[in-house]
Amino acid sequence: MRILVIEDDGKVASFIQTGLEQEGYAVDVLNHGNTAGEQARAVDYDAVVLDLMLPGRSGFQVLRDIRSRKPSLPVIMLTAKNSLDERVAGLDAGADDYMAKPFALAELSARLRALLRRGTPRESVLKVADLEMDTIRRTVRRAGASIDLKPKEYSLLEFLMRNSDRPLTRSLIIEHVWDIHFDSISNVVEVHINSLRNKVDRGFPIQLIHTVRGVGYMLTDSAP
Amino acid sequence: MTFTLRARLAVIATIVSGLLLGGLSIVSYNVLARWLDEDVTARLTELTDGLHGYLRFDGEVPTVEYNANDSDQASFVHEATRYYQIYDSATGRLLAQSPDIAPLGLSLTRSEVVLLLATSQPSDITTPYGRLRIVNSPVAGPGGRTYLLQVGVSLRTLDASLGRYRDLMLMLTPLSLLMAAAGAWWLSGFALAPLTRVAYAARDIDIATLGRRLPIRHVKDELEEVTVAFNETLGRLEQSIGEMRQFSTALAHELRTPLAALRGEIELALRATRDVDLQQSLASQIEDIDRLTRLIEHVLTLARAESGQIPLTFGAVDLGELANSLVETLEPVANARTIALRCEPAPAVVALGDAGWLERLVLNLIDNAMKFTREGGCVIVRVSRHDERACLEVVDTGIGMTPDVSAHVFERFYQADPSRSSQSGGAGLGLSLVKWIVDRHHGTVSVESTPDKGSTFRVALPAFTNTRRS
Repeated sequence: MRILVIEDDGKVASFIQTGLEQEGYAVDVLNHGNTAGEQARAVDYDAVVLDLMLPGRSGFQVLRDIRSRKPSLPVIMLTAKNSLDERVAGLDAGADDYMAKPFALAELSARLRALLRRGTPRESVLKVADLEMDTIRRTVRRAGASIDLKPKEYSLLEFLMRNSDRPLTRSLIIEHVWDIHFDSISNVVEVHINSLRNKVDRGFPIQLIHTVRGVGYMLTDSAP
Repeated sequence: MTFTLRARLAVIATIVSGLLLGGLSIVSYNVLARWLDEDVTARLTELTDGLHGYLRFDGEVPTVEYNANDSDQASFVHEATRYYQIYDSATGRLLAQSPDIAPLGLSLTRSEVVLLLATSQPSDITTPYGRLRIVNSPVAGPGGRTYLLQVGVSLRTLDASLGRYRDLMLMLTPLSLLMAAAGAWWLSGFALAPLTRVAYAARDIDIATLGRRLPIRHVKDELEEVTVAFNETLGRLEQSIGEMRQFSTALAHELRTPLAALRGEIELALRATRDVDLQQSLASQIEDIDRLTRLIEHVLTLARAESGQIPLTFGAVDLGELANSLVETLEPVANARTIALRCEPAPAVVALGDAGWLERLVLNLIDNAMKFTREGGCVIVRVSRHDERACLEVVDTGIGMTPDVSAHVFERFYQADPSRSSQSGGAGLGLSLVKWIVDRHHGTVSVESTPDKGSTFRVALPAFTNTRRS
């Protein structure tokens, strides 16, 4: 998987590069957008991470350059502004996703994964260790025993299982599981994770739901 | 008591015109009276002098002789002899008298006759038939005798004319004054109307429409100066607001990019280390950065909101449904703190508002209530409709506030107890955002609180009505 990162701030570009390379991506960095179109045509990238505020050609112009050559190439926009208008403008211009700075690396890679996975059919039965979820019958079992979950708990667990072994940030979880933007009541996630832990992990020797410090939560059977 | 500028102008103009009109009437009356008086005296002198020429003394009896066939002579003599009498100054005897003067009782004694001989000034006497002006003149008779000739003219015509003129003035002056007052009222209104228009136009301009300008009529009058000055003020205001907006955008960018780099590098370091203590310290740094980011976000949202940069989309918002779904979502959070969070919705309480911002409003109120409610307490969200208002109440059994605290809760960065801010995680912006949202919806928000008993926040919003739907 090869990713093109177009970002003028050297430090931001460098941590994105390092972070994504650690996750196994090949990463190229451009610190301006002037040649982004040609670069995107010349190299077979799987996705582009594009900063909106660039010296020379703006992010929107660069996005048009890329789109004119590779209409289906997934693009995630980064911006230092976080107004709704800006978000709408970014998505209208043809970006596939949009992230405000500062963001969590884990969130960037989760969004990238989601974009790269796009189009592949979703599995109907999810399995992590002895935890099983049937997304058609909406049933959950652990070691064969059925677990009764409330709707929000179910959605949360499904999101965790679809992204198992990856740390997920609170804001990513909130965006996917709730459709409300909480910023002050951030322990909504914490509370639901706790009740989920009580139902899924209590009494089992192997804990599946883990807290990842500074990032958020992760569902995995291999302790970090 | 104050009057409008228009009323004051009209009153002043009326008083000035009243003084002018009154003065003019008095002066003109007096001048006219004097002129008429002088005319009468001149005529009287003429008549007396003329009559001297027609007087003949037949022995002691004076007679008036004239050619009756001469119409000029006849009419002159007729006029001159209307009121006349002749006395003998030596004896004081009345020698001749016209029939019209006889009933007036103007008989003179000898001493009076002698006295009057020396008086050349005409004198006015009042009779039952009107005023009479009489002039005395000595006539030299035969044998060196001196007679007193008295000739009079009636002042009735003069008095009548003056009286009519006075009546006319007494009628015309108040009438003109009334017209002057009406004119002054209209004129001051006419003069002030552009000012009123300027005021109305100015009132329509708020922070979101600072780009508007008052119309300039290019007539170069005093009012134009006011309009131009006002437009220039607007220009300066727009410029500084623009600079403020640019500043907040630039600030956002300048703060977020280094924060992004910082956060990313810490996250990489966190991935790399297996040292639990270091992990803990790095994680806490990330939490601080996230808190800082949220704070910047809040400040910028408020700054943008207050400088009118956030457009609201108004529609029908069911407050009951909104409150219910938020309470459902937050119930687990409340339960985790053993706070009972309940919703008491009413059906069909529909507000006219922006769904996203109203959700934020309710969320911030519930968040605030839960922050200040102890374990085992209770938070109730109540929705009701009062006439044209859709109302929402958030009642808690929390720590409450003293009146001097509740007076400030909607101010930015206000924290009743600064030591709480770190544990509750707020920066004192939630309620000021609530206030802003309510203001933009033309609603009201109030708080009622008793220390140690709890607080009640009340929001009233304009209801969405069927008539608005059409």
